[in-house]
Amino acid sequence: MRLGYLHFSRFPAQRKVIEVPALAGKPFVLEEEVRSARRVAFASTSALKAGVRPGMTLTAATALEPSLQHFPYKTEDELRALASLGEALMCVAPGFQLSAPEGMWFDASAAHLFGGEEGLCLRALEVCSGHGYRGRAVVASEPFTASALARHGTRPVLVVPEGGSARALAPLPLVALEGREREAFAALGLGTLGEVAALPAGAVAARGGAAGLRAHTLCSGGDDTPFVAAVLEEVLEERMTLDWPAESFEPLQFALKTLLDRLCARLAGRRRAAVRLKFLLRLDPSGQVELPLTLARPTARAKLLLDLARHQLSDLRVENPVAGISVRVEEHNEDRGQQLALGDTPEGDAALEVVLSRLVTTLGEESLFSASLEAVHRPEQAYAAQAFRPPASTRGMAGELLPDEEVEVPVEEALKERPSRLLEQPATLDAEVTETGELLAAWLLGKRRRVMAMAGPERLGGEWWAKEPYSRDYYRVHFEGMGPAWVFRDARDGRFYLQGLFD
Amino acid sequence: MSAMADQRSGAVVEQLRERIRQLQAAPRSYLATLRTGVEEVDALLPSGGFPLGQAVELCGEAASGRTSLALRAVAAAHREHRLCAWVDGPKELYPPAAAAMGVDLSRLLIIRPKEPSQLAWTAVQLARSGAFACVVLDLNQGLAAGASGGRSSGVRLSLAEGKKLADAAFRGGSLLLLLSSPSAPADGVTRMRTESLGPEGLSVEVVRSRQGGLGTRAELPWSSLYPALGPEGEESVLLAGELPTGKELVPDFYRGRSWEQRNGCGILGQRPGRDAGMPSMGSVLKTGTAPR
Repeated sequence: MRLGYLHFSRFPAQRKVIEVPALAGKPFVLEEEVRSARRVAFASTSALKAGVRPGMTLTAATALEPSLQHFPYKTEDELRALASLGEALMCVAPGFQLSAPEGMWFDASAAHLFGGEEGLCLRALEVCSGHGYRGRAVVASEPFTASALARHGTRPVLVVPEGGSARALAPLPLVALEGREREAFAALGLGTLGEVAALPAGAVAARGGAAGLRAHTLCSGGDDTPFVAAVLEEVLEERMTLDWPAESFEPLQFALKTLLDRLCARLAGRRRAAVRLKFLLRLDPSGQVELPLTLARPTARAKLLLDLARHQLSDLRVENPVAGISVRVEEHNEDRGQQLALGDTPEGDAALEVVLSRLVTTLGEESLFSASLEAVHRPEQAYAAQAFRPPASTRGMAGELLPDEEVEVPVEEALKERPSRLLEQPATLDAEVTETGELLAAWLLGKRRRVMAMAGPERLGGEWWAKEPYSRDYYRVHFEGMGPAWVFRDARDGRFYLQGLFD
Repeated sequence: MSAMADQRSGAVVEQLRERIRQLQAAPRSYLATLRTGVEEVDALLPSGGFPLGQAVELCGEAASGRTSLALRAVAAAHREHRLCAWVDGPKELYPPAAAAMGVDLSRLLIIRPKEPSQLAWTAVQLARSGAFACVVLDLNQGLAAGASGGRSSGVRLSLAEGKKLADAAFRGGSLLLLLSSPSAPADGVTRMRTESLGPEGLSVEVVRSRQGGLGTRAELPWSSLYPALGPEGEESVLLAGELPTGKELVPDFYRGRSWEQRNGCGILGQRPGRDAGMPSMGSVLKTGTAPR
């Protein structure tokens, strides 16, 4: 099986710069607590240049570089970030296996789709670069060969042919070998993996035991470690605990960006687009706020989602500081991408989403809807409200010139005789009727209006099986000084009701 | 064999090139106006329809044809696969009737703000976004108040709101249609007054315009807005004296539910839904008002 390995040099430091772009080029470290001492776990390039090294105490590092900034190193966060990058890579590789904290293996069996293994490596690096990460990629037949060459090699892309592992590994320094065996080989005066591989296997096994023999086999280009693809999480959710409770929107923005970047990477890898999201803010010391976000057009673009989240959260007033935030994709569907023509920009959809988000925030989600027809005869129930999700527009040159392919759905003939304005509930008409039930006039819009003409009846009835059956005789009535009104006489009480206007 | 395949692929490539040349040579269509499809109304407007990027006011009493004119403009935008929004102040828009007029309900966003003060703000946001080809702002108060005898005036926009709306329409390139009543007019750049002429029809008059056509007026029958109400025979018009009375008033399912009455009409003889086509007010209405 051919495997690829992606190595991201100082991945946590790269991630921190993506999260906080202001840190680019500045000295900073990620520190962790080791036996009650705060030690440097990862350092930025400028911190390394100043002499800061991993494993050094924070005090010593600060002494070397007084302007050094430090942030806590959270293993779990780094692992989640690496996993989301792995999921993003699923558009080029069918599976991945994490090698925390700086790399991952991926299945290179789909190389033929990218013009060979080198093409696959380039594409994988391109995807990573799209998410802001720089790395090196190596494809080989053994996991160790791929990882050692990616970590300690110099070329950004390398393809090791089948059977060529020993030769490729030979010039690597002994540092590439992990474990205690490395020290033993170093004590013998060996400097490269090639020198280790040149030792007789029997002698190595006799002196170093099984572990020594294994190290020798690795250096000779043999590794039978199986590739175990990571299991994908069913639920698309990302969460983060803030370093300290946030009292303003500013610190939340960084957290949101990180979370949405990860979530969108995971969505993109699965070729899915978010339809409905839920933001959950955990308050300090207690309480939580839930904010739903429904999208008119499904998307997996982190920038757009961040804009929408900003609209939702920037004006939010909460009673306590925010201690943590989580974002969950409640509903997603297939991401078919967006077909743009020459001159088109994807900003059109972004404008729609932004304005809808703003309206939802101010007016409430229930105030916005699109209607769908229902097969119900009772006029006021003949439509239902649903979320506004317009079909994707096929604009552009071809879209404008090609004949329409949309199939027109025939509208029921009866609907053509319905008024354009309908009262939510029929209003009792203050009507003047003769003894025989003849409608003479009615008080309408502040005036007594005579009936000029009327047409009908159209009898609508039904729901006799329900608690409230109805039977109505509908008339189109021309009242004096008005257009046609839609009036019915209810069979239950014999009274006239106004239901709509042909405006 | 391979030579044949090469020839065939070459022919396909050539066909595709020719198609691209045709597409590039053809002029691109841009939506500049929204026609209502009612010739008399379109002819009143200098641009032959409602111009995009402007606020146009349709001012008239209840049931004077404003809503159906606006719905026809929305349908015109939907024919070009553009999105539209309807800010429904009185909560009275009836989507089934809109669908019958050619409106694509999946492309129509309906907004019903809870507070009348939010109407103008909502319309400004929608128009300024540029995502909607047509935004309709219904400023009427609603029939529910009017039916019970009260006046139905509507929401009156301030001068600043009117300017904001016009500016938003211009910046977003959307058509902003304001539906207002004469007692609470809005501040549209172009104002068209609609008036019911009784059963005979309605009139549309341009009462404010910066692009000419001021004072032009058209009279049209109701059937031009609602074709289903088209002219039919004299017998279809029901005068007051011919209203069904007595036993006929009682619908079938309130009468005896005997097996005899069932007669293939469903369980218990009840006929749910619509029984028959509703007769239309016909051409006879054009001859004059019905005798009282």
